[in-house]
Amino acid sequence: MSHDSSRPALRREDVTIPAGHVLTRLPWIGAGVGAVGLVTAFVLRPGDPKQFAFSWLFAFLFFLSLALGALYFVLIHFATQAGWGIVVRRLAENTMAILPLFAVLFIPLLLGMGELFPWVQGIAEGKNHVLSGKAPYLNTSFFVIRAVVYFTCWSAIAMYFFRRSRGQDSSAAHAISVGLRRLSGPAVIVLALTQTFAAVDWIMSLDPYWYSTIFGVYWFAGSFVSFFALMTLMVVRLRRAGFLTKIVGLDHFHDLGKLLFAFTVFWAYIGFSQYFLIWYGNIPEETIFFRHRLEGSWTAVSLLLAAGHFIIPFFFFMPRTIKRKPGLLALGASWMLAMHAVDLYWLIMPVMHPHGVAVTLLDVAAFLAVGGLFFGALSWMMLGSPLVPVGDPRLPESLSFENV
Amino acid sequence: MAPIDENDRYDPVAGRPTLILGGHDFHAITEAVARPVEGKTPLAWWFCFLPSVALLGLLGVAVSWLFWEGIGVWGLNVPVGWAWDITNFVFWVGIGHAGTLISAILFLFRQKWRTSINRSAEAMTIFAVMCALIFPGIHVGRVWVAYFMFPIPNQMGMWPNFRSPLLWDVFAVSIYGSVSALFWYVGLIPDLATMRDRANTVLRQRVYGFFALGWRGSNRHWQHYEVAYLTLAGLATPLVLSVHSIVSMDFAVSQIPGWHTTIFPPYFVAGAIFSGFAMVITLMVICRSAFGLSDIITLRHFDYMAKIILVTGTMVGYAYGMEFFIAWYSGSPYELFTFTNRAMGPYAWAYWTMISCNVISPQVFWFKKARTSIPILFVMSIFVNIGMWFERFVIIVTSLHRDFLPSAWSYFRPTVWDVSCLLGSFGLFFTMFCLFVRFLPIVATAEVKTVLPQADPHAHPLPERTPVGDRLAEEGAH
Amino acid sequence: MATFGVLAEFKSPADLYRACERVRDAGYTRWDAHSPFPVHGLEGAMGMKRSKLPWIILVMALGGAATGFLLQTWVHSMAYPLTISGKPHFAWPAYVPITFELGVLGGALAAVFGMFGLNQLPRHHHPLFESARFARFSDDAFFISIEAVDPMFDAAAASKLLHGAGASHVEIVEDLP
Repeated sequence: MSHDSSRPALRREDVTIPAGHVLTRLPWIGAGVGAVGLVTAFVLRPGDPKQFAFSWLFAFLFFLSLALGALYFVLIHFATQAGWGIVVRRLAENTMAILPLFAVLFIPLLLGMGELFPWVQGIAEGKNHVLSGKAPYLNTSFFVIRAVVYFTCWSAIAMYFFRRSRGQDSSAAHAISVGLRRLSGPAVIVLALTQTFAAVDWIMSLDPYWYSTIFGVYWFAGSFVSFFALMTLMVVRLRRAGFLTKIVGLDHFHDLGKLLFAFTVFWAYIGFSQYFLIWYGNIPEETIFFRHRLEGSWTAVSLLLAAGHFIIPFFFFMPRTIKRKPGLLALGASWMLAMHAVDLYWLIMPVMHPHGVAVTLLDVAAFLAVGGLFFGALSWMMLGSPLVPVGDPRLPESLSFENV
Repeated sequence: MAPIDENDRYDPVAGRPTLILGGHDFHAITEAVARPVEGKTPLAWWFCFLPSVALLGLLGVAVSWLFWEGIGVWGLNVPVGWAWDITNFVFWVGIGHAGTLISAILFLFRQKWRTSINRSAEAMTIFAVMCALIFPGIHVGRVWVAYFMFPIPNQMGMWPNFRSPLLWDVFAVSIYGSVSALFWYVGLIPDLATMRDRANTVLRQRVYGFFALGWRGSNRHWQHYEVAYLTLAGLATPLVLSVHSIVSMDFAVSQIPGWHTTIFPPYFVAGAIFSGFAMVITLMVICRSAFGLSDIITLRHFDYMAKIILVTGTMVGYAYGMEFFIAWYSGSPYELFTFTNRAMGPYAWAYWTMISCNVISPQVFWFKKARTSIPILFVMSIFVNIGMWFERFVIIVTSLHRDFLPSAWSYFRPTVWDVSCLLGSFGLFFTMFCLFVRFLPIVATAEVKTVLPQADPHAHPLPERTPVGDRLAEEGAH
Repeated sequence: MATFGVLAEFKSPADLYRACERVRDAGYTRWDAHSPFPVHGLEGAMGMKRSKLPWIILVMALGGAATGFLLQTWVHSMAYPLTISGKPHFAWPAYVPITFELGVLGGALAAVFGMFGLNQLPRHHHPLFESARFARFSDDAFFISIEAVDPMFDAAAASKLLHGAGASHVEIVEDLP
């Protein structure tokens, strides 16, 4: 692997999951859970197609945001030539490689468009002049075309980076690193724009009268935090299973902890900016968004979001000792994933259930459906290549990384 | 210590291309930075200092006349109650942010290249904040009751309105100035000790010694010092983000189109870093050749700075795009009018200056040749700052001059006193900066020493170069 | 005159690091290392405990934030309540910016002045400044000083230890009169 004997050597057993290992069952478990969820959801669908659409949207966006967060991580990693994270980059690459699957998972949403978006009906009726004003953007055909563009861009970028990185495992060609670095800049711009407009299309237009210029950034912030949470959990779980033990060390965990802390604060900053400016300006067109989320039991959810997505993790991820204990980090990471789910639920569901929280079986079924398939696909990707980009010329730097 | 090959750009210890060129050892770094400060004042310095002092004098005259006659000497009218004054305020605060980003945020990201420029950048921050604070101070009209802004108990039982963003500014910007000054000073202490120990006159020894606090390089002291430094970096980071967010809230908490939009806080922060780095480049291009520091402030440093300009410029461009899209999407005729008025109304000339300087011209930095060419860097940095001044001008004046009621529409024209205050503020800034480079080490020598390969106590003898590392270095792969 | 201690000079951070480990292992407690910049990992080589400064900073930061929040609450809800832009008197979102800023200020002041306090600076007079060679600590030389007040101190033994640890020069430093 390297010529210099003073650098730590990589052993095959550390980075490959052998056939027959219990982890190889994961894709099947995922597929199984997904199938159960799918069947249940589709069985329940005819009874309440609107709830189906909303539940599916929630589950879809939750897992999509993890995959998009992974894509951001990989692109930013290449663009900044970060050194510490090379050992965990392959896990992110596996997560982002699932993006093409989301194009398929989007289909139920396309079918349920009329249930989700008031503007579909509103523009068809032609009676509402505000919605008609938005018709050049909010019309069914353009909506579909945009979705096709998003998935094409995301899949193309993700698969290109994924394949080149895997190819580097055997070739160790440094030209690949240089090429990916050069491409990562423009790719991030494309990703930022498509992800922003996806947020506008799929979340913001649920209430087509409302608008916020920071909304794309808000969804990005939540996605990024939850991706780091997912990555932390993946690393901890793999280490517990005996892999990556000499590769990912306490210093890498420390960095993951710092990133979890930093982006928790970033999310809070963006979220508070949005809330505060709308509160202060007190313009009814804008404040209605928060009025809806302070109705009935939604108030409790709003408070939970502020306390649980910001205040608690802020103090939890601050101490150095916690960031260097993988077990505690994993606990915090699970909590952050749960909070991201609360965040998305709080964004989406009040449109359908304005008077209070109403968790239904469809919510669970859709979540299991999308989640199971996501998880199955992710594990399958993970089994397909070494757990670490073994051919990366800068891998030794990451292996010998030491934190302050 | 084993000598490092002059041409060796592959750093065998860290595995990255060498930051400091020329194979210098610790003493050479000390000499390179301290010698210009100890010698006779070069003629070139007077050529920078005297015009700056002249402009500073202009500022004094302009401000005195303003106090005497009142705000009417500026071109303000109804409805344009804010124009150059607040533009200048936001402009200078924005420039200051790059210094803190370099000191604090790049420190948290372990970007060692910051050590060559952070001292000057932090000094730039402090002087920029000084310039910034002038404007809210002088624009209040009744300067003699400026103490109303502070929560000082008084006989009227009155308190400032803490719910106003104008007051948040008072706290935010003054705390930002104080913390930046503290951060800068703490970083200076070891270098002041160096100057003290090298002093060739008693006066220098006494003055540097006083401010060096008796520093003796004790590792027990270094331990607490590093905690303080890391914490200051950790505090300064959210401070940077919050200060310019609070400044943006001067506008965003209002209700007028073009001002009231949720993206302002991060958009302003990105813009601040954008303009700040441009000013750092302007200053560093001049300093590095004037002081012969091109081995310490290298083309690689400019490469990284130019990349940051490209990234933050793109973020600013994103914000422009989002604002415009949402202005249309909102369906509010006022919002859409504001944006079309910017591009095609009476201030279109300002708007297109802003777009060409901020969005179009930084695209040149996609090319490495541009990022490492001193003439292009210098010219671009000035364009960026012009563009960013115009951005604040466009935001403030176009939204004010034509808002909801057409009968209240007007046009703002600056007077000679508006211009004098702006030019004078540059005089203050460059006067302070000239004094800084004359009397203090402009590079953080102690920090630069830590990024030399010899500073690593676990340095083993140079291992064999691996072909991969060589090619990466030649490729200029960064 | 009384002896302050023994001062040894070293040529590189690596030498200093190894020597510190030897001095630590020998059991000395009243001693110090001096360098022009912080040497990575030297706290461990010297057997130093973690600094208490972070706690001081945390307390002062929270104190600053609390002061800001309470001041604003008191002013706007009790001292002179005014209805401003139709918002309730206790307009907590509007208190966040100043609360945050004062928290940062508290933390920063604690960091700087706490550091000065823990380092007992300023201290302009110190026996080590009498040594002519010591002046290079701020340039490119590295030193270890073992103080006479250390229970184990013996000038000859300490000098021998330091020579053996790789010192390029060892001298006895007199205390201040």
